[in-house]
Amino acid sequence: MVENKTWLVALREYTENLRTKTFWLGILSFPVILIIAAVVPSMLAKAKDVRRYAVIDRTEWLLPAIEERAQYDDVLQLLKFLQKQAAKGESALAKMPAALRGVAAGLEQKSSKQLETQARFWTGLGKSFANLQATPKPDEGSQGPEVGEQAREFLNWFASLSPGEARSLQAGVKRERYERIEIPAGTADPEAWARAQLDSGKSGLFAYFVLGATPLDSNEGFKYVSNNRTDKELKDWIGRLSSEEIEARRFAKEKIDPDVARRIQAPVYFDEKQLDSSGQEKEVSSKDVIRQWAPLVFVYLLWVSIFTIAQLLLTNTIEEKSNRIIEVLLSSISPLELMTGKILGIAATGLTTIVCWVGFFLIGLKFMPKLMDLPADVDLTVLISDPSFLLSFVVYFLLGFLLYASMMVGIGSACNSIKEAQNLMSPIMIALMLPLLAMMPVGQDPNGTLARILSFIPPFTPFVMMNRAAGPPEMWEYVVTTILLIVSVLLAFFAAAKIFRVGILMTGKPPKMGEIFRWVFAKEGK
Amino acid sequence: MEYALTLEHVSKRFGAHRAVDDLSLSIPSGSIYGFLGPNGAGKTTTIRMVTNIIQPDEGTITVLGQKSSELTKDLLGYLPEEKGLYKKMKCAEILAYFGRLKGMGAREAKTKARDLLERYGLGEWADKRTEALSKGMGQKVQLLGTLIHDPRLLILDEPFSGLDPVNVELLRDLILEQRRAGRTVIFSTHGMEQAEQICDFIFLINNGKKVIDGPLSQVRKSAEQAVMLDYDGDGSLLASLPGVVRVNNAGKSAELFLAPGSDPQLLLRALVGVVQVRRFDQREPSLHEVFVRAVGGRQAAKDLSHG
Repeated sequence: MVENKTWLVALREYTENLRTKTFWLGILSFPVILIIAAVVPSMLAKAKDVRRYAVIDRTEWLLPAIEERAQYDDVLQLLKFLQKQAAKGESALAKMPAALRGVAAGLEQKSSKQLETQARFWTGLGKSFANLQATPKPDEGSQGPEVGEQAREFLNWFASLSPGEARSLQAGVKRERYERIEIPAGTADPEAWARAQLDSGKSGLFAYFVLGATPLDSNEGFKYVSNNRTDKELKDWIGRLSSEEIEARRFAKEKIDPDVARRIQAPVYFDEKQLDSSGQEKEVSSKDVIRQWAPLVFVYLLWVSIFTIAQLLLTNTIEEKSNRIIEVLLSSISPLELMTGKILGIAATGLTTIVCWVGFFLIGLKFMPKLMDLPADVDLTVLISDPSFLLSFVVYFLLGFLLYASMMVGIGSACNSIKEAQNLMSPIMIALMLPLLAMMPVGQDPNGTLARILSFIPPFTPFVMMNRAAGPPEMWEYVVTTILLIVSVLLAFFAAAKIFRVGILMTGKPPKMGEIFRWVFAKEGK
Repeated sequence: MEYALTLEHVSKRFGAHRAVDDLSLSIPSGSIYGFLGPNGAGKTTTIRMVTNIIQPDEGTITVLGQKSSELTKDLLGYLPEEKGLYKKMKCAEILAYFGRLKGMGAREAKTKARDLLERYGLGEWADKRTEALSKGMGQKVQLLGTLIHDPRLLILDEPFSGLDPVNVELLRDLILEQRRAGRTVIFSTHGMEQAEQICDFIFLINNGKKVIDGPLSQVRKSAEQAVMLDYDGDGSLLASLPGVVRVNNAGKSAELFLAPGSDPQLLLRALVGVVQVRRFDQREPSLHEVFVRAVGGRQAAKDLSHG
């Protein structure tokens, strides 16, 4: 009979929560956040303003070389993009400008090496673009694929491609973001001109470069002038292109064979391996890397779930108190039944939310890589391939939830408003932040001293032990920490029941911490 | 006599404060018992102990023949002073929920909830959320919630406060109806008028101690004789008239208290010369007066006029 009433309270709590908009918004917020997290960063990057820049070239040759290299990068990027689109089928290509459609058709079977050759050849032609238009046929001696009507059309199109058009194409070319402004011919002091432009901001100039006169010998005279100190992308990009060109010329000047130079410069590369279960070396796959990171994902999920639900319980208790219905309920059931019922009801609500979230998450794992443009061989479903992760997640969720729920109910029952509760909450909030902060260090060193110590502090146990799952911790650690956790859950629960019994009927000034402790240790009935 | 409720030497302390001090009380079955007392006198504490929401430090409470415990909760119907409803629940649902918390079966509670709403003119609200109810209707639903499991003992804490005259009448009828059905009703109130109209017994508590306890008629007799007067003119001289001990003057009407043995006729004769008498009503003292005298001091009177 007694349990019966607890279930009644729990059931009512659950059905009422299911009827609120907040509940459904909470469920839907997760996939929305998931999608936003996957799509928005790249969208934001694309939405950046076009950066206009000017280059004052004191060498006469470096700027054209940079331009040529930039053009090569973009054309290669475009070819790769077209190849991908072509693989998707007719409908994807139908949206493309006519100049690209023809080019795309021939790309499907080509290797990335072949694409590079084609890009190099085409941009080589682009350099003498004026000639190309005058003489329809390329030089007899040139190697590489035959340049026909298609290439000409493509290069014509590319030459007149504006940043806006480039962006709407979503191919990821640099043209989307950067536009070089020509310094008017015959300007006596180009640098003064650029300075004035940047200062007045009239032409929307973001930065200007000065390329030093003797780049092969020294960096002297190289300058990057901008008022933006945070966005270094343009500087890095032009810097990379210049370095590549200058490097090549230095080798040529010293009469070093480019192949030799490449060999000299080649960095040492460690081939990453790991041992499999039988002690044999094996390749490190993306799967293994993801598996290593999986616990972190679960810690985060655990944290968010426990935190969300505990918060829900806190507001719910305070609401119920201000609702003035408590006394009616208490004339029918005991405070312990009421509290247990509420905790169970909210736990059920929370579990429903989390099951939905996990569902979305699993669906997300299938589609996230595509949304985030991750390489095709990255399979995020590895995250949940290990059942012990899911099992320990459920166990730690329940224990962790009960622990924090007891604290929240205790606090909630002693307070009359959310504001009052927040004061009492702050120690708990700080405690909750710690496992999040420790997430990376513990993840990197799952069996280190920090990880071990934190595992034995019950409020942190669920998070830290989850965090260490890839370690994995030793069996005795699992056993001892779990026993500690269960004992603390029981203690917290009965302390909360004591506080609840007194606090729930209190109105007026919120009690001090000391007073609350006295309730806990007071004899029954007082 | 059979008792619905007995308290024997019950005490309750909150820290150093004695909220209820050595209280003994026997409430006969089938009676209407009024709990009176100024704010903070211990009415609500007493009621909470009877409903087993809090436990007494000392003494025993017997509810309908059983020692008060978690189990006796189901036998009681309790309407607290602080009352509310779940806003998002439908009227019939919340009534059924209250019924089920008192141990009713699911189907029984459901039918009974609709019956009650229908019977008390709230049938069309059965499937509406309680947040749509007016305050008066809300209180009605709350009251029905305490009745749904047919409790033999009904405890109402300040049931009349905040009700409009129509609802006051409705509630009064409902309480009388409960007595006709053989149930016992205890209610606490600040409204002397209601207490006078319907109570069989009066219990007055002050500073946690019993001050008066007995049948209404006896309680009244124990107090001074009084005259109700409606008048026009200067009332400042009323107190100096022959035989008048004290005046409870409201400007256009006054309650005059007479010294024991004095003649009201003499007073009437004297009054004619002082003010213009519109009504002269010789009667037993009002419960209000009993209350004020028992509690003593102006503070209590103030409490009353604000209550």
